[in-house]
Amino acid sequence: MKKHYGFFIDAERCIGCFTCAMACKNQYHQPETVVWRQVYPISEEIYPYHERAFYSLACNHCENPTCLNVCPVKAYYKREDGIVVHEQDKCIGCGNCIRSCPYGAPRYNPEQKKAEKCSLCWQRVDAGLKPQCVQSCPVEALQIVDLATFDRPDTVQYPPGFPKHEKLNPSVRFVVPQLPKVIGREDI
Amino acid sequence: MSNIEMPLVLFSVLSQTAIGLTIMNSGRQIAGDDFIGEGRRQWGIVLAFLVTGMVASFFHLGHPLQAYTALKHLSTAWLSWELLGVSIFLCLALFGFFTEKEKKSGLVAFLTALVGLLTLVFMGMTYAPPGYPALNNALPMVFFLLTALLLGTSFSAWFTPSEDRSWLCRILTVSLIVGLVVYLIVPCIWLSGGTVMAQTAEAWIESPLYWGRIVIGLVLPLLLIWKIKDIPPWLPLIILIGELLGRAAFFQETVHAASNIGGL
Repeated sequence: MKKHYGFFIDAERCIGCFTCAMACKNQYHQPETVVWRQVYPISEEIYPYHERAFYSLACNHCENPTCLNVCPVKAYYKREDGIVVHEQDKCIGCGNCIRSCPYGAPRYNPEQKKAEKCSLCWQRVDAGLKPQCVQSCPVEALQIVDLATFDRPDTVQYPPGFPKHEKLNPSVRFVVPQLPKVIGREDI
Repeated sequence: MSNIEMPLVLFSVLSQTAIGLTIMNSGRQIAGDDFIGEGRRQWGIVLAFLVTGMVASFFHLGHPLQAYTALKHLSTAWLSWELLGVSIFLCLALFGFFTEKEKKSGLVAFLTALVGLLTLVFMGMTYAPPGYPALNNALPMVFFLLTALLLGTSFSAWFTPSEDRSWLCRILTVSLIVGLVVYLIVPCIWLSGGTVMAQTAEAWIESPLYWGRIVIGLVLPLLLIWKIKDIPPWLPLIILIGELLGRAAFFQETVHAASNIGGL
């Protein structure tokens, strides 16, 4: 069976430490304004508790990626294992992918005047290593999974606060954060 | 889209002006309207708008010298189709300009108008990306058709004797009323949509660019036409300013879906 890589984000475990985002920066040394992985706090309307919960997101390597479809110069391609790769040498910096992706994954690099995005560290994956963000997560809240065989019934593809685009079919699965059980007198 | 994208504002408005003017030109020739001697000048104005817009569009690219490679992805990228459409439109307009003699080249004008109309559709699809829920529909196409209609009709007055302008006045008046209704209603509909659509509506309603577009581009020309009962030569320029303000609002005030990740 063909592999289909994607990210698994356990928002129940994530503590919002930004280590994943920093590890990505350390690996690729993007300019200051360019962020491939971002840690988004979940709003209080979704998670009404004084401790915050987070989604750590980068490119979702969609099954039907809009960045690939709208790029006029064919700077994107999808590997057999599902990883969406951006070839910067072909990019002319039109920004069409940046406007099109509803997850804000492609970013504009003002130094190179080209778009760029998370590559799921495909070079590391090919070498049998984990992506740098996954490797660095201290609480194992971020993992790379093979969606072709991934089967966890407690996960969702579109949790609240994550744009739902079924046509794109993002290769990502979440465990949503649970509110802590408040133990009152009646529970004792 | 959080950035005013001035090159795209100029490119889209000016190329749509050129398309609108060609559609009006073609329509008049099919209707048997005789404006001999003006044809070449009209092609010249079409080319001036189009070339200015295309030059402006290069400033939007990070690597403008590789712009030609944007034709590579015709299978799925509407931007490739947009570039193809604009390029064919330019070639046909150049052909019309250089071959326009005493006898009207009605076929060239018709073909150019047809390609222009298709290009408007391609443009509408290009600027309706999933990243902008408020625009991920037919609205960009409607906005662009309105721009072509308003500016095409008004600039046509430059090539029409004042005694023959009454029908142009009627078309422009109706177009301005339709434009006014569309631009006032659209943000109200967005307000009842999802979070990002509602945020877009609020951003538009609070934007001086949006109200500048309504007042300068639609209300003022309507009042002037009602008062003067004619399209004076400076009126198209006022409408053009309104369209540029509106397009700037389109690019700057529309909210991206990613800005609400983590929110309801």
